[in-house]
Amino acid sequence: MSGLIRRNPWRRPVVLATWTWLYVAWMFVPVVIAFVFSFNGGRSRSVWQGFSLRWWTEDPNASFLHDESLHSALRNSLILAVLTMLISTPLGIALALGLARWRAKVAKGANWLMLVPLVTPEIVMGASLLLVFSNLYTGVPLGRPAQLLGHVTFSMSYVVVVSRGRLLAIGRDYEEAARDLGATAIQALRMVLLPLLAPAILASFVIVFAMSIDDFVISSFLSSGVASETVPVRIYSAVRTSSTPALNALASFLVFSSLFALALGMLGVSTYRKRRGADSDGESVLTEFANFDM
Amino acid sequence: MTDRYGFNRRRFLQGSAAVAGGLMLPASLLSACGDDNVSGSALTLARPDRPVTLPTAANPIAGGLAHEGGTLQILNWVDYLNPDTLARFEELYGVKTAVTTYDTEEIALNKLRSGAFQPDLIIGLTDSVLPRLVAADLLQPLNKSYLSNFNNVIAGLRDPYYDVGAQYTVPYIIYSTGIGYRADMDVDTSYFDSGNGWDILWDPAYSGRLGILDSYRDVIGSVLHRNGEDINTGDQKVLDAVLEDLREMAAATNPKIDILAYTEVPAGTRAVNQCWSGDMLLGVWYLPEDVDWNVLSYWQPDDMVTGNDFFCIPTKSARPVLAHEFTNFFLDVDNALENFGWTGYQPALEALPASTLIEWEYVPPNLENALITPEQYAAGKRAVALEPEVDNRWTDVWAAFNAG
Amino acid sequence: MRKNEGQWLWGLLAAPGTIWLLLLFALPFYGLACVAFGEIDPIFRNAVAAWNPLEWRFENFGEVMGEILTGSLRRVFVRTFGYVLAAVVLSFLIGYPVAYYLARHAGRWRGLLLALMILPFWVNYLMRMLAWVNLLQVDGWATKAFSAFGFQYNFLDGKGITVILGLVYGYVPFLVLPLYASLERLDVRLLEAARDLGASPGHAFRMVTVPLSRPGMMAAGVIIALPMFGDYYTNDMLSRSPATEMIGNQVDFYLNGTTQPQKGAVLVLVLSAMLVVFMAYYLVTTMRMQRELQT
Repeated sequence: MSGLIRRNPWRRPVVLATWTWLYVAWMFVPVVIAFVFSFNGGRSRSVWQGFSLRWWTEDPNASFLHDESLHSALRNSLILAVLTMLISTPLGIALALGLARWRAKVAKGANWLMLVPLVTPEIVMGASLLLVFSNLYTGVPLGRPAQLLGHVTFSMSYVVVVSRGRLLAIGRDYEEAARDLGATAIQALRMVLLPLLAPAILASFVIVFAMSIDDFVISSFLSSGVASETVPVRIYSAVRTSSTPALNALASFLVFSSLFALALGMLGVSTYRKRRGADSDGESVLTEFANFDM
Repeated sequence: MTDRYGFNRRRFLQGSAAVAGGLMLPASLLSACGDDNVSGSALTLARPDRPVTLPTAANPIAGGLAHEGGTLQILNWVDYLNPDTLARFEELYGVKTAVTTYDTEEIALNKLRSGAFQPDLIIGLTDSVLPRLVAADLLQPLNKSYLSNFNNVIAGLRDPYYDVGAQYTVPYIIYSTGIGYRADMDVDTSYFDSGNGWDILWDPAYSGRLGILDSYRDVIGSVLHRNGEDINTGDQKVLDAVLEDLREMAAATNPKIDILAYTEVPAGTRAVNQCWSGDMLLGVWYLPEDVDWNVLSYWQPDDMVTGNDFFCIPTKSARPVLAHEFTNFFLDVDNALENFGWTGYQPALEALPASTLIEWEYVPPNLENALITPEQYAAGKRAVALEPEVDNRWTDVWAAFNAG
Repeated sequence: MRKNEGQWLWGLLAAPGTIWLLLLFALPFYGLACVAFGEIDPIFRNAVAAWNPLEWRFENFGEVMGEILTGSLRRVFVRTFGYVLAAVVLSFLIGYPVAYYLARHAGRWRGLLLALMILPFWVNYLMRMLAWVNLLQVDGWATKAFSAFGFQYNFLDGKGITVILGLVYGYVPFLVLPLYASLERLDVRLLEAARDLGASPGHAFRMVTVPLSRPGMMAAGVIIALPMFGDYYTNDMLSRSPATEMIGNQVDFYLNGTTQPQKGAVLVLVLSAMLVVFMAYYLVTTMRMQRELQT
């Protein structure tokens, strides 16, 4: 990836560089300001009225620490994200593996089916899920169960796409070598492919977590009441009624949780790399397998 | 008892005139006597002059039970219960409460019908949605033995026309619809003095600083009122004219459509806002510190639209006894007074008429007209439940207006 | 023969995911049609889903199509297409230089900049909009800054430009990364050859870079346009006025705010039909790119 880029010797790209850094500022400054305003002394979210921890801890009714509805929104977001992650990633990895290797006629259809959610606007998915849970799958209550099913549905395709890239990079060689050494298909899968896929699996976990936390439309359409509101739904409904800087506090806390999850994921990937030694091939894994008792 | 023949004849004549005018009434209504029970296939819609005894599909809960614990799930408007009063209830009964809010009655009806949300108690609905709730078997009949404070309710509302015998509902507050404004934002009060107050909503001087309610019944009703029409009409031509007027309003003043009059007018971002009578009283709490609370003002037409909303308990309520106790708690005069002090909406209690509340100085002097006297309430127009076909037309007008 | 031995395994692996998507993605689409073309309950005026296609009734569909072609919904559709087009064009104007810089000139800043490009994905979309709502309030910092320059403007007052800018702000990160990826794959040697042959930098850009990056540009444009068509919450947060009503708002209104979800269902179907062209284009190019990568 790095070999082709060289510094342009004809012109210093001052304009482009400035533009890019301005873009970065534009992306982040409003969010940072919103975070700073969560420490606002007064009720306003737009006029600075002095520094205070009122909306984080002090106000006995409305602060982030005390307002139970904010906690429940945060809990719902995190639980939903973790559950989605745990269900969507295995399903997605399995689907990616299957689609990559399966040669039946049905495979092509399944491939198209997998790709369509990627290009479907969320409102289409939300509307159809709402109607189907109300009219057909009435056994599934709206609220967290329905939201979980919806989240897994739209995130699975992302897992497939992410792992597929990695699968292509890995290629078939290691698998075939393992098969030549006498492994069954399942053993080759378990002992060669999956460990090689570990970075993609980790990346999938992180991506699904982020997407689920950020999701608004599906969570909103399939929510049942204040008990199943997630943070984005809460922000949306609070902005349309009166609200305090505690909302900024809630949103900031969620951002920190997501960043923390991202950091964990990256830590996991770099630990994996260090343990494996080699840079993302499977030689060491294969050596291990060759020593495996057959 | 009214003369059956006379009543039927009057009804029939009304029906024919309505048909001639384009309003289609279901055949069952033309022949119905009004105080009969209804079969499940059609809605019997109550009118102030035609009270309805709702069918009793199920039995109320048994008496004398202990109340349930846990968290009472309430479906309510936003900012419609005093947090302190609520906290006292929680402490007294050793329970918790959680409020899920709705922005419009249709949204609440949707949530209930789809089973998306199973509340234990519903607050704030009016009789426009009551027939559909009962037809869908969503409400359970009340057991008055738990409602010892029931007789605190205004005498005229203990046996309301929309629910004879108060089987399913207990009145919560009474209200009217009018316009709230800040007197210090150069609002032209000559509109109000001349009695054409609604016209201010079309005045381009307030463009960008004006709001209307996110409620199709109230907005279309107010335009009908302004045009001198029946506020429950189903006449398509009349409704088309309303749509034209609304589009004119959109072009002239670009109104915001929400239920935030009580925060936006005090904050000064809006000069004029259609609102309900309690909004300006609630808005006192949202004034910036340096603004005198006397600037908040309210206008309503002399022949105002009045109404009341109520408590009701869903069939599938998981805590019906607690829901009854909650209702009873808020029927107590002291609790209702404390609640009113925060929400600004006048409780439907006999002991708290407008004169008493004013005497006890519960309202700023310039907002005394936001309280409704018994005479005003009795004389007020009423927005009633519409036939489904008519309701459809109203919704279409609203959707077309919202589409810009 | 050995190669086909393990086929049952791959089929088995793919099965759970495929069945899941069938039940929870494909079937709901059918359910949408069943509600859109279903019976209307006389009391509640809502649709009763008709699962048998032979029982489908098309009055609703006709009514809504009538509204779209000649009635109030036509303005909504035109407005939505206009907003999306404006937002996509603006996003390109803003995002293409960034992606280009990142791909070709970033040098030692590349790692940091890439991380910064990815970071907005981890900030909740609604929080980013909330941040702007706060800044654009009448007494907010952005409004004050503008009026310091003599530019008095109430941004949150039902203005289309606010909604467009909100869409841009929300979706431009989704544009920059794919654009970067495709620009990064450009063979620099082609550019160097152009320069060697005497082209000026601008000329080389126009004649070489732009045509080569066009597939990537189109794909990235479609990626951000598709969600914008269904967006309703950006409009709801930044402007709550009929003057900026989008298709998504009408769908949300009918599905959640009335007891007539069938109209919402029809709108969703019509929207999907309109977007199918874009969706198919994107899918076909993706498949093609996949195949190229595989060979």
